Amino acid sequence: MAEIPFTLSVPDTELELLRTKLELTQLPDELEDAKWDYGVPLGDTRRLLARWKDGFDWRAAEAKINAIPQFTRDIEVDGFGTLNIHYIHQKSQVKNAIPLFFSHGWPGHFMEVSKLLPLLTAESADHPSFHVVAFSLPGYGFSEAPKKRGFGLRQYAEVGHKLMVALGYDEYIAQGGDWGFGIVRTMASLYGERHVKAWHTNFPFMYKPSLSAHPLIWLRDLVTPYTAEERQHSERAAWFVKKSYGYWAEHATMPQTVGYSLADSPVGLLAWIYEKLVIWSDDYPWTDDEVLTWISIYWFSRAGPAASLRIYYEFGTEEGQADWAKLKSPTIPFGLSYFAKELPFVRLFWTRVLGNLVFQSTHDSGGHFVAHEKPELLVGDIRKMFGSGGPAFGVIPGRDGYAGK
Amino acid sequence: MAEKPFTLAVPDADLEFLHKKLEFTRLPDELDDAKWDYGVPLDDINRLVAKWKDGFDWRASEAAINVIPQFTRDIEVDGHGTLNIHYVHQKSKLENAIPLLFVHGWPGHFMEVAKLLPLLTVVAPDQPSFHVVALSFPGFGFSEAPKKKGFAMTQYAEVGHKLMLALGYKEYVTQGGDWGHVVTKTIVQTYGGKHAKAWHSNCVNNTGPPSLKSTPWLYLKYLVTPFSEDDRKGFERSAWFQMKGTGYFQEQSTYPQTLGYSLADSPVGLLAWIYEKLVTWTDNYPWTDDEVLTWISLYWFSRPGPAASVRIYYEVVAASDFTRPQWISVPIGFSYFPKELMIAPKLWGRALGNVVFESDHKSGGHFAAHEKPRELAKDLRKMFGIGGPAFGVVSGKSGYTVA
Repeated sequence: MAEIPFTLSVPDTELELLRTKLELTQLPDELEDAKWDYGVPLGDTRRLLARWKDGFDWRAAEAKINAIPQFTRDIEVDGFGTLNIHYIHQKSQVKNAIPLFFSHGWPGHFMEVSKLLPLLTAESADHPSFHVVAFSLPGYGFSEAPKKRGFGLRQYAEVGHKLMVALGYDEYIAQGGDWGFGIVRTMASLYGERHVKAWHTNFPFMYKPSLSAHPLIWLRDLVTPYTAEERQHSERAAWFVKKSYGYWAEHATMPQTVGYSLADSPVGLLAWIYEKLVIWSDDYPWTDDEVLTWISIYWFSRAGPAASLRIYYEFGTEEGQADWAKLKSPTIPFGLSYFAKELPFVRLFWTRVLGNLVFQSTHDSGGHFVAHEKPELLVGDIRKMFGSGGPAFGVIPGRDGYAGK
Repeated sequence: MAEKPFTLAVPDADLEFLHKKLEFTRLPDELDDAKWDYGVPLDDINRLVAKWKDGFDWRASEAAINVIPQFTRDIEVDGHGTLNIHYVHQKSKLENAIPLLFVHGWPGHFMEVAKLLPLLTVVAPDQPSFHVVALSFPGFGFSEAPKKKGFAMTQYAEVGHKLMLALGYKEYVTQGGDWGHVVTKTIVQTYGGKHAKAWHSNCVNNTGPPSLKSTPWLYLKYLVTPFSEDDRKGFERSAWFQMKGTGYFQEQSTYPQTLGYSLADSPVGLLAWIYEKLVTWTDNYPWTDDEVLTWISLYWFSRPGPAASVRIYYEVVAASDFTRPQWISVPIGFSYFPKELMIAPKLWGRALGNVVFESDHKSGGHFAAHEKPRELAKDLRKMFGIGGPAFGVVSGKSGYTVA
C-alpha cells in the first residue's frame, strides 16, 4: 500500500489525437442574438477552440500542475476490489497541523484545491495550519474508475476515509462542495467521532425541513418573512431547477449515452463543462487558458470523461436515494459557509438539520466553485471555525494547527 | 415560390470528412453488466461504428431515398422571412384522392413516411386513396432552419399549412406523431374547419385527465370510470418515461446549443443520442444496422446540421406552446400503440375534441409509421373510408373513383 509520487505526463500520442480531433471540429450554427439563452454562445466556443488549437500550451499547464505534490496508492473498497487513487498531499511545516480532507465534485477536479493550499498550510501565530489531502474522486482526474455498478456516496466516502487513515491521519476533518458535500457528510456520518472530528461545506444541499421531521423549524419558516437576500437566493435556486437541470437529468438516467459525446468530442466536452464554469460561478473572470486547462484535465483523465457522470446515476437509484435519506445526521461539529451565488437555497435557520451546526457564515459574493473563485474567503471561514477561540478549536487532540509552545 | 425537384446528393467531401472523423473516434469504457440501464451499450456502438466506417453504403441509401419524389419550395413565415422547405410529395393516380399532410417529430425525419406511401397512395375500390405530403420541419432534413429566436408551434403550423395551400390543397387532412402530433393539432386548431378538415395522431400526449372546467361531462365520467388493465399498463409506461426517459428533453428544452456542439461534432455522439430513442421508444423493432446508420446519417448530413433540430424543444417550452386548451371540432382519430411514451386512458384523449375514431393495437411504439405502417394505414382507411367517421371531409376528394 505504498504511496507512489505522481507526475502528470500526458503521452504525446494523446496530445496528437486531441490536435487531430480539434482540426476536424465541426461547429453548429447559432440563432441570431442567442446570447447565453440557448447555451454556450458560438463566439465563446470559436475563441476557445482557436486557442486550444493554437496558443494553449498544455505542457506549461501540466508543469504548473506538477508543482503540487501528488501521489497514487491502492485503496481496497468493499465489494469493488482495489482502486488506484490519485491525490494531492501537501503537508504544513507545522507538525501538529490539522489534517484536512478536501473533496471536489462535478465538473470539478483535484486542482480546485490548489489556491487553498498555500493559505491552508501557511504557518502563523494568528491562525491554524492544515495538512491538506485532496483526492481525485474515483472516475475523475487520475484515479481509477470503479468497474462495477452501485458505486455510490458510501463508497466514495470509504475511499476518502481509508486514504486518510493510510496516510497516518487517524483523526481528521473534512471539507467539500457539490458531490464533495455528499461525500464528506457521508464520511462525517459513517466515520464521525472516532475518525472524522468535524466537517465543513460551502454547498448546503437540503430540502426545506418538513413539518413531520422538524416541526419547529417548519413553523418558524412559515412565520418568518423572507429577506431580500433570501428572495434573491431562492430565485437563483428556482432558476437552477427550471433551467439548469438538464445535465443532471441526463447524467442521472443515461450517463453512457451522453458519455459517448463527451469522450469523443473535445468541443462537445468543452461546451458541456464551460457552460457550468460560467453560469454557476459569480462572474469569475475565467481566462481562456484557465478554462482549457480545466477541460483538458477532463479530456486527459485516466478513466475518460464519461466515467465522471456515473455518480449521478448511482445517487439517483432507489438504493442511492434510500442510503442518503437514512444516513444518520452527523453528530460532530459542522460548519457552513454560504456564498451568494451558490446554487442550493437554504434559510440559515434550516441548516442545523444537516448536522451539529457550530459555525455559519454568509458572503455576498462567490459562487459554486468557491475554492477557486474566493479562496481567501473560504480559508478565512475555515480558520475562524478551527482557530483559537473558534467553535471547533482543538477538535483533534494534539493537533490544534499551531506551532508548539 | 416555385417547386423545385430535389435530389439528395451529399458531396463527396462531406462523406470523406465523416469517414475521417469516424477513424479518430474515441470511445468511453462501460461498467460491467451495464446493459441498457446507463444508456446505449458499448457493444452496440462498437458494432455500429465499425459498420459505419466500413460496410455501410451511404450512396445506396441515398439512391433508395431518391426514389421518393421530393421537392423544395420557399415558404414565407410571418416574422421569420422566407424558408426553403424540403418535402416529399407523392400523388395518387386518383385525381380526387384525399390530400394528407404527414408531420414527423424528433428524432424523426421525412423518411418516416416512406413505408406509408405505397399503402396510402394505392388506388383500390374498397379503400380511399391519398395524396401524401410529408415535409422536413424547418431545421430538419433538407429544409432551411429558422435564423431568429421564437420559431414555435404557430410557425411550424404555418409552414405546414402554407405548404398544402401552395400545392393546391385548399382542404386537407393531417397526420402526426411526436412533435408532429403537436404541430398537426395546432394546424387543426388554427386552420381547422376551413382548411384542415380532420386530424389523426398516433401519439396522444395530453396534459392530463378531463377537467371540470373544460369538459364537464367527460370529467364526471372520468370520476366514475375505473382504470382498465390497459390503462394501468399505460400508466406504467408513462411513469417509466417520466422517470427514466426525459433527460434529453430537459437538456434540449433548456440548453440546446450546449448539447448541439456535441451532436454537430461527434458522429458517435449523435449516433448514441438518437439510437437510444430508436431502441427504447420502439416495440422491439428489429432495426438493421444499415437502417440505423441511414437514419443517423440523415441527421448528420442534414442541411442545417443536427444542432438546429433540438431547438424546437426550447422554443415550444419557452412559448408554453404545448397545449392550447382549445376544443377541436373537426373529426379526430387516435391510434393507440402500447409502447408509445405517454399513454393515457382513452377518456382523457376525448377531452381534446371531436374524437370520432379510436383504435387499439397489440404492438407498436413511438415510431408507428415506421414500425407498423400497415396498421397505421388501415386505421387511416377506416377513418376516412366509405362508412368511416371522417368519410368525405374534404369536399370533392373522397379518395374513391367517382362512379
